[in-house]
Amino acid sequence: MTATATDLDRLRHALPRDLERSSQHYVVDGVTPAIAFAPNDGSEVAALLHAADEAGLTVAPLGARTATGLGRPLARYDVALDLRGLERVIEYVPEDLVVTVQAGVTLATLQATLREHGQYLPTDPSPGDEVTVGGLLASARSGAWRGHLPAARDLILGMAVALPSGDVVHSGGRVVKNVTGFDMHRMHTGALGALGVVVEATFKLTPLPAVTRTLLLSAANIEACGDLARRVWDASLAVRAITVLGARAADGVMLPPVPAVLVEVAGSPASAERTLRELRSLAPSAGEAPVETWGRLRRLAAGPGATVLRLGIPPAEVETTVAALERSGMAAWAHLAAGVVIARGDIAASEVEALRALAVERGGFLQIEVASAALRKAVDPMGEQERLLVAALKQQFDPRGTLNPGRWGAGL
Amino acid sequence: MATSSTAAPPASPGHPAGHAALVRDLQNALGAAAVLHLPEDLIAFEYDATIERALPEVVVFPATTEDVSAAVRIAEQHLRPVVPRGSGSGLSGGAVPLTGGVLVVLTKMNRILEIDRANRVAVLQPGVINLQLQEAVAPHGLLFAPDPSSQRVCSLGGNVANNSGGPHTLAHGSTVNHVLGLEVVLPGGRITRLGGRLVDAPGIDLRGLFVGSEGTLGIVTEITVRLVRAAPAVRTLVAVFDSVEAASEAVSAIIRRGIIPVALEMLDREIIRLVEPRIHAGYPLDAGAVLLIEVEGLAEGVDADGAAVEEACHLAGAREIRVAHTAAERDRLWEARKVGIGAIGAASPAFYLLDGVVPRTRLPAVMRGVMETSARYGFRVANIFHAGDGNLHPNLMFDPDEEGATARVLECAEEIMRLCVDAGGAVTGEHGIGLEKRSYMEWIYSPADLAAMHAVRVAFGGAERFNPCKVLPGGHGCASGHGAEAMAAIRRGSDSV
Ligand SMILES: Cc1cc2nc3c(=O)[nH]c(=O)nc-3n(C[C@H](O)[C@H](O)[C@H](O)COP(=O)(O)OP(=O)(O)OC[C@H]3O[C@@H](n4cnc5c(N)ncnc54)[C@H](O)[C@@H]3O)c2cc1C
Ligand SMILES: Cc1cc2nc3c(=O)[nH]c(=O)nc-3n(C[C@H](O)[C@H](O)[C@H](O)COP(=O)(O)OP(=O)(O)OC[C@H]3O[C@@H](n4cnc5c(N)ncnc54)[C@H](O)[C@@H]3O)c2cc1C
Repeated sequence: MTATATDLDRLRHALPRDLERSSQHYVVDGVTPAIAFAPNDGSEVAALLHAADEAGLTVAPLGARTATGLGRPLARYDVALDLRGLERVIEYVPEDLVVTVQAGVTLATLQATLREHGQYLPTDPSPGDEVTVGGLLASARSGAWRGHLPAARDLILGMAVALPSGDVVHSGGRVVKNVTGFDMHRMHTGALGALGVVVEATFKLTPLPAVTRTLLLSAANIEACGDLARRVWDASLAVRAITVLGARAADGVMLPPVPAVLVEVAGSPASAERTLRELRSLAPSAGEAPVETWGRLRRLAAGPGATVLRLGIPPAEVETTVAALERSGMAAWAHLAAGVVIARGDIAASEVEALRALAVERGGFLQIEVASAALRKAVDPMGEQERLLVAALKQQFDPRGTLNPGRWGAGL
Repeated sequence: MATSSTAAPPASPGHPAGHAALVRDLQNALGAAAVLHLPEDLIAFEYDATIERALPEVVVFPATTEDVSAAVRIAEQHLRPVVPRGSGSGLSGGAVPLTGGVLVVLTKMNRILEIDRANRVAVLQPGVINLQLQEAVAPHGLLFAPDPSSQRVCSLGGNVANNSGGPHTLAHGSTVNHVLGLEVVLPGGRITRLGGRLVDAPGIDLRGLFVGSEGTLGIVTEITVRLVRAAPAVRTLVAVFDSVEAASEAVSAIIRRGIIPVALEMLDREIIRLVEPRIHAGYPLDAGAVLLIEVEGLAEGVDADGAAVEEACHLAGAREIRVAHTAAERDRLWEARKVGIGAIGAASPAFYLLDGVVPRTRLPAVMRGVMETSARYGFRVANIFHAGDGNLHPNLMFDPDEEGATARVLECAEEIMRLCVDAGGAVTGEHGIGLEKRSYMEWIYSPADLAAMHAVRVAFGGAERFNPCKVLPGGHGCASGHGAEAMAAIRRGSDSV
């Protein structure tokens, strides 16, 4: 089914004229949409969703488009909804450590605003600067800090979401502790835009650490690196990341090609100094590593050109998984405290299924982070979840399948 | 307890049709010993920690998840609502079976199933008591961060259902931040799992949506929680102020310095006078308010943070600061926080424990409003609360036998809740909406917002079947009129919790 000219005109009438964009600029998975819009606020987003819903057209909400390959390829893609025009910081009260922003604000802009007051949103930096707050929430990915710091979903105090019904609905508020009604914002975090379009979010913030340092710790082999990493974790030091690198991963971030442990120290001057001392006594070889190493690692995880997998593996077993993945030819590393192993390289669909079985057996999961559309069709990219409940929620919030249809599988 | 004159809905007289068949089916599925149905046995379950009453038709004590599922299916076959209940320490009437039906009490499912030290995970049944879990994991150098003041009695299932907080929520977050996975029984009896054993799971955060749903979306039958390492060093200090307002200013000043203590609690003069004679912790009886502050981390960091906290307090007008030097001293200071509510109960025939939240910078102004409002209504008010989160707990003390006192206390409470909302806050930080605050939901949320929450309830299949008349306004056969519902938060005096 394709969009007719009449359908498209209905959308044009729903919005101010100057919001239409050239659809050529919004190709996703090789598909060009029929039309594109870039609204500036939540009510315009809601009006567009409603008009599309009525016309039977499907909409893909888009931020900086760094993660449109997450989930299954779209079953149908008529309307590109570019959210980058929702770019205002609505309210920032540094004394309360609380900020409210529109969903199209980039993480880079937000962090720069907060940095002026010595604060930050303590979610992992993304591979690129341009990612939007909405995209970050919808994709809910994390990196090396997770396990030491909260996930994005734990930092949201309130949210406004535009629905295909044309409503903009709110949940939560601006206070740091709140059980007034259901935590609707948690449902939209990680939903890949399948249940609504985030138009505004309120976050709780954290003071920036006064001191940060990156240290590289080495040990005889990958097993010894795993043990060392866990000793660091158990010492309750002022650290924000403990990452076990396989040899190929180390090579990929321009470190010597041997297994190692990368640690980020973060805290007050007194705690950081003590932590550095402790680290040196745990690993006499410990030396400073370039701070850019973390950015390199993030870019290694961001793909292009290779398949990237995220495995959930209990912290006690991460290094054996890293070792096995590296033996198979992939570059692999583990963020210890979160129990996350990332692997990058070439891998066949059948091997992905086998890895998933291995992770699930250990109480974990496998998520495809970056892959060709073909692989994402052959293997469920996100893995098992409560399909009946997801389907029931989809039925309630997007009964006509207007938003990102197919992201979560057939009919979802 | 003398509140019989209040507007609580009547307990169902006689039995609805089909009662005998309902009891028989439940007995066949769960065993006779797990089913209570005689009026004299049911009375103990007609209220929670509040004075709101409504008799359940039957009470069941499942021993397994399958029992819970069977009870849910049987209740539905007989068209009876299901109300989950843990220890009954809830403060918003959440476990009150307002329209009767089957009360599913989880206290017999009280085993700790696994403690995985290496991965810092514990798996437990919902009836495990919060403190029981703390005591089981402490020898491993671990702790479960949410520590409600009711931790000696409240169940983990109740903590999950209410997304409970505690003094240490300030740094560590509420229960939702510490739940990794859940096994739940949904309306219809289906058993499923949400989340897993790791901090993140791919996809839609159903476990996060479920936490805090107050028994309206399903019954929690197993909980996988995250444990955290006990900090290597901790410093507990008490800062003494002449007024609640000055102490409130100090709270803002500490946060403004970029220090987030693990705990930052306020006790006002009224509370100190009630607890100090009982515990002899050395709280000055003439203080206007004290802050009980805890910082933790590495020893060196604790020294630095402790010094900064002291300085902020001094600048805000603290007249004295005491530091606990031993674990025993620390425990004694905390004892005041823990026995505070009980002391209010001992001193007053009844009291209304309010729960509201405001942005931290609004604390001084709102606390002034709380004091003025209660004085205007002529009620003694005792404040003991999580100041660092902006989470207020004014306790209005009154005698329900006094003509019109109950009505006035409800009015006064409503005015205080308005103050919180007008300051940009919310109507509950941790005790939940339950029955008590259903009608306040409309102060905060639009009809569309509420419809979205209702849609979640429909998606889970429990719109009217699970814990009816809770959280969302409206509903068939629910008591109307806010006065009656707010009664759900009033507590009897002389409680020991
Ligand atoms: C391997 C890898 C690891 C990463 N690790 C991290 C990390 O640790 N920390 C981090 O912050 N980021 C991380 N990122 C980046 C992050 O996952 C996303 O790429 C980015 O946040 C998406 O932002 P975007 O604006 O580009 O969204 P887009 O790519 O435009 O959109 C992503 C998805 O969200 C939907 N969407 C976008 N905006 C909205 C909205 N407002 N409402 C509803 N749905 C919406 C889209 O439909 C799409 O499905 C990582 C990326 C990769 C590839
Ligand atoms: C003196 C005192 C101090 C308190 N201090 C605090 C505090 O510091 N912080 C705080 O947050 N709370 C506090 N509370 C409130 C209360 O203790 C908490 O809300 C607690 O989590 C309730 O647990 P419970 O087992 O008693 O639940 P109940 O009272 O039995 O039930 C509470 C709600 O949870 C639902 N529920 C119970 N078990 C389940 C289950 N297994 N599955 C699904 N739903 C279920 C019920 O339907 C009901 O809606 C305090 C209470 C008292 C009396």
